[in-house]
Amino acid sequence: MTTVLPSIEKLDALVRQVVGVDALYPAGSIVTAVLAATLGAVAHRAPIAPLVHIAHQADGLRVTAKIGIGAAESSADVSGRVHDAIAEHLRHSGNPTVVQIAVIVASVRPSD
Amino acid sequence: MTELTPTNRRFLAFDLNDTEREQAGLHGHTIEQLSDYLDRGRVPADPSIDDSPECEIALRGLERLRRAQQTLLDKDLKRESLRDDSWVASILDNITLEAHAGREIPLSHPSPTARLVVTEGAVRGVLREVGDRMQNLFVGRCVLVGDVSVPGTPISIMVDVTVFPGQNIPLLAEQLRHAMYVALHKYTELVVAAIDITVSDLQALPDSSAQEKEH
Repeated sequence: MTTVLPSIEKLDALVRQVVGVDALYPAGSIVTAVLAATLGAVAHRAPIAPLVHIAHQADGLRVTAKIGIGAAESSADVSGRVHDAIAEHLRHSGNPTVVQIAVIVASVRPSD
Repeated sequence: MTELTPTNRRFLAFDLNDTEREQAGLHGHTIEQLSDYLDRGRVPADPSIDDSPECEIALRGLERLRRAQQTLLDKDLKRESLRDDSWVASILDNITLEAHAGREIPLSHPSPTARLVVTEGAVRGVLREVGDRMQNLFVGRCVLVGDVSVPGTPISIMVDVTVFPGQNIPLLAEQLRHAMYVALHKYTELVVAAIDITVSDLQALPDSSAQEKEH
């Protein structure tokens, strides 16, 4: 079972602000994300579906962020910072048990 | 994930016309569609392309390939029409195949809640970029051999390259190997036992005078 929580939109902005994050990709179903993005483009507004995915499961929250990073910093450093930022945000938001925060580095953008 | 990349797959050891496979790796798009998107300057924006890291990696590969072709054209415009450009087609197919996310390569973090990974597709993209940025060389195929999903397991990298005229090949291979080691160390925690580089294609310019005599 998956449930989208109210605080999830804030996570998109939070992840984008992490130093070294160059892009944020949909972490949930690609079909849902593309549909939402297309509808958003048609309606001339931001995509409806958040990019960071939260699943509320029996044992707690599972969060997934799929990012692209700039070439200047290492994958481990940037993804670690994203993990820490999400963990901190959820802790301050009073969210229940976090079982997993997954950060997927899906692309590395070279410096031009 | 348990997907393993076959080590014996060569440039053309797959069905080049397998559009479904190509589209699956590029989120519903073909390499031709991505090429058209580049031609249009990525306008109007297509979220189904822009929101896909696989498409992004493939687009960057396409851009580098185009630059390489342009450089060759600039170097020898007169002879360009005589050159066999079949290597371009095989590189295009490899860009398509290698852009897909593939396996997940773990990154360490002290928190028990953390699951940090870099995708195989991202790593292949970096390695391809490293090679393509070198003068007179273009990466044809790049394969990570071994179980990259288990930290500490020694793996190897197999790279096929096309080399253009005027290069000391052993020196070029050593420079490429060093640059790839540096990149792998920066973006992964893989234990790399070897980087095997095969110059699978030498793009010598054809002898235009001989061909002109034949006519």
